[in-house]
Amino acid sequence: MQRRTFLAGAGTALAAAIGMGSLPALAAEVSLDDLLHDPAAPEGGNPKGDLTIVSFSDYNCPFCKKAEPDLARAVREDGNIRLVYKDWPILSQASVYGARMALAAHYQGAYERAHHALMSISGRAVSQEDMEKALAAAGIDIPRLNTDLETRKKEITELLARNMDQADALGLQGTPTYLIGPLLASTLDYDGFREAIAEARSRQAGDAQ
Amino acid sequence: MHFSIKARWLPILLLPLVLFPLAAKAETPAPADKVFVLSASRESALRLVWTVAPGAYLYRDSLKASLDGRDLALAPPPGETKDDPNFGKVEVYHRAVALTVPDLPPSGVLDVTYQGCAESGICYPPVRSLVDLTSLVVTQRPRASLLADVADPPAPAPSTPQGSVDREADTAMSSGSLAVISAFVGFGLLLAFTPCVFPMIPILSGILVGAGQRSIRRGFSLSATYVLAMASAYGLAGFVAGWSGANLQVLLQTPLVLGLSAAIFVALALAMFGLFELALPSFIATRIAALPVRGGSLGGAALIGFGSALVIGPCVTPPLAAAMLYAIDTGDAVRGGTALFALGLGMGLPLVLAGTFGARFLPKAGPWLDGFRRLFGLIFLGVAVMLVARLLPPPAGLALWGAWGVIVATFLGAFDRLDSASPWNARLSKAIGLSAAFYGAVLIVGAAGGSGDPLRPLAFVTGREAEQAVTLRMTQPADFDRAFAAEATAGKPVLILFTADWCTVCKSNEKVLAEAGLRDRLARTPRIFVDITAQTAEAEKLMARFRVIGPPALFLLDTSGREIPGSRLIGAINAADLTTRLAT
Repeated sequence: MQRRTFLAGAGTALAAAIGMGSLPALAAEVSLDDLLHDPAAPEGGNPKGDLTIVSFSDYNCPFCKKAEPDLARAVREDGNIRLVYKDWPILSQASVYGARMALAAHYQGAYERAHHALMSISGRAVSQEDMEKALAAAGIDIPRLNTDLETRKKEITELLARNMDQADALGLQGTPTYLIGPLLASTLDYDGFREAIAEARSRQAGDAQ
Repeated sequence: MHFSIKARWLPILLLPLVLFPLAAKAETPAPADKVFVLSASRESALRLVWTVAPGAYLYRDSLKASLDGRDLALAPPPGETKDDPNFGKVEVYHRAVALTVPDLPPSGVLDVTYQGCAESGICYPPVRSLVDLTSLVVTQRPRASLLADVADPPAPAPSTPQGSVDREADTAMSSGSLAVISAFVGFGLLLAFTPCVFPMIPILSGILVGAGQRSIRRGFSLSATYVLAMASAYGLAGFVAGWSGANLQVLLQTPLVLGLSAAIFVALALAMFGLFELALPSFIATRIAALPVRGGSLGGAALIGFGSALVIGPCVTPPLAAAMLYAIDTGDAVRGGTALFALGLGMGLPLVLAGTFGARFLPKAGPWLDGFRRLFGLIFLGVAVMLVARLLPPPAGLALWGAWGVIVATFLGAFDRLDSASPWNARLSKAIGLSAAFYGAVLIVGAAGGSGDPLRPLAFVTGREAEQAVTLRMTQPADFDRAFAAEATAGKPVLILFTADWCTVCKSNEKVLAEAGLRDRLARTPRIFVDITAQTAEAEKLMARFRVIGPPALFLLDTSGREIPGSRLIGAINAADLTTRLAT
């Protein structure tokens, strides 16, 4: 399986920085903090996990949809991973709408439910109506969502803009992109995620020594 | 993918951010504009060809093209059908796809977008390319954020209040165009005091006299109709100019056109200074006199107003041409039309006053009118300098601005004699003039010292040491190696900066480097700028060699050419951070 092979190379500062956020030289870096600890960014997995995965995705990206269940499973089974969701709507205008709805659902504590609901609609040209239907079917309070879309519009827009800036600064090319500790990956399957996670941990351990 | 760097770039300092790609090929995904390459050729019809890198594919339904904002109906050939539970059923193209676009004008810019994914599992954002229909050159457009022009979500539940964000955005936008509109009204007002508009006064009074016994209200409605019709004629011209402008913009940036425009403005300025008189050609003047003035009716006033705009057109041509240039430059028919309509309104305002209250309310011609015309002439000279400065190296441009400052000063009376009886306004004018003269002189001195920055023309004086630091700009790997070899002999690390003209953050970064505290620190550090404005293959070699994804990026190389770990800065920089970074 090609995708599961890793690039050999020396993991350096970032490995430690992303994984543990404790390297003194980088402790002051606002940027890594922005990337890993944006207070507005929804998170999943174990908040105290020893490894952080940052997921840049788009609700009209078929590959994101394909990888999503495997990522969720890998994070759940590992139990020691913090997952940071970065909605990066770049593929279509409906993607922006989807991202706004998912982030609005965060205000009723249902980001992950909304995220998975939107990711489970197949195809690359999902309409706004279909997105709304999927959210309703997933038990999201739609009137509340609409209220939050409106009243929290500014915060949501700012968070999306931050995500885009971070993705641009990292030079990310498309969706999905996963930052797994110091590793950068696009679509992976379950085994791929497992291997990447193990590799990321071993690099962190190597750097810590 | 080109980097779209926004002004509101976050202070992202992803320093030692070396991410390790996880793909089999041990490299990060190729950028979209390398994966999907568009080219154009033309025999009878335009032919667009996309080549698609191995392992990637384009979506058939993503191929879109528009001309002047109109979407064109494309007929892409059938693609391979791909059926995947995650994708649904889609048609895609591997390797290449070609299609012809019939019935295109010989010139113009075709706006093409397309989108695809790579089988390795990444979907690219839409790529936007512009195809120049004359030269067939294809240029990539930086990716636009979908966020910026996102349509508002559908109407919220009626109970929720309307978002205030929308309204803010609206006012921000309208205040921008309001400024433009009022500028054009002002410009028109200035034009109203050129002799060209004077022939309109008799025309208008002809209409008013025809109306016989008239009230102020009747006078106002007649003259307002007349002026509105005249402004509409200009607005129409602006609309056409803006509409055609989308195709002319490129042409307008050529040195020839810039030089010619500058010459026209200089001539116009000289006319304003009284060197020669801009007057209505006599054959037109007689025709105006012969206009059938059917007095009184609003329709007649409108008709004559529309007509007089065309009649006096030739006389106000140069300033009108300037306004048209603006309209063309916007490439936006509505904005061009609005701007010229505003110009016409400004020109007509004094006429409305005269028509309503009688000519006695119009300011009489006199010395103040000469002052006005001089002011106008100075503005025209400034416009000429602005146009020419774009063609010149920055110090030469700065010298021109300096010369302009001295000219302004001279006209303001900076070098006139004052005596104890001189009135306050002559004194004020001289004082302002002297300041302008002094600033102009400083700019010229700055230019002689090699400066190109009007705000820091004398930086080279304080920067004695900084002068020792060599600043080189290059785009070729060979030049880079030569420059680096030359700098490295000094035995000091060399600061490498990747920059590009379109990169606004790079500009602000260069300002940070020039800050007083840093300048001293960096005084003895040679710098090499790698300019990747034109994304040539050579430039990309340099980017690849130093693993630079896009500008701005800066780092130190030791004398053996190795990057000093921890010295790399990406994105916006600040002085404090750079200081600690360089200390390592």
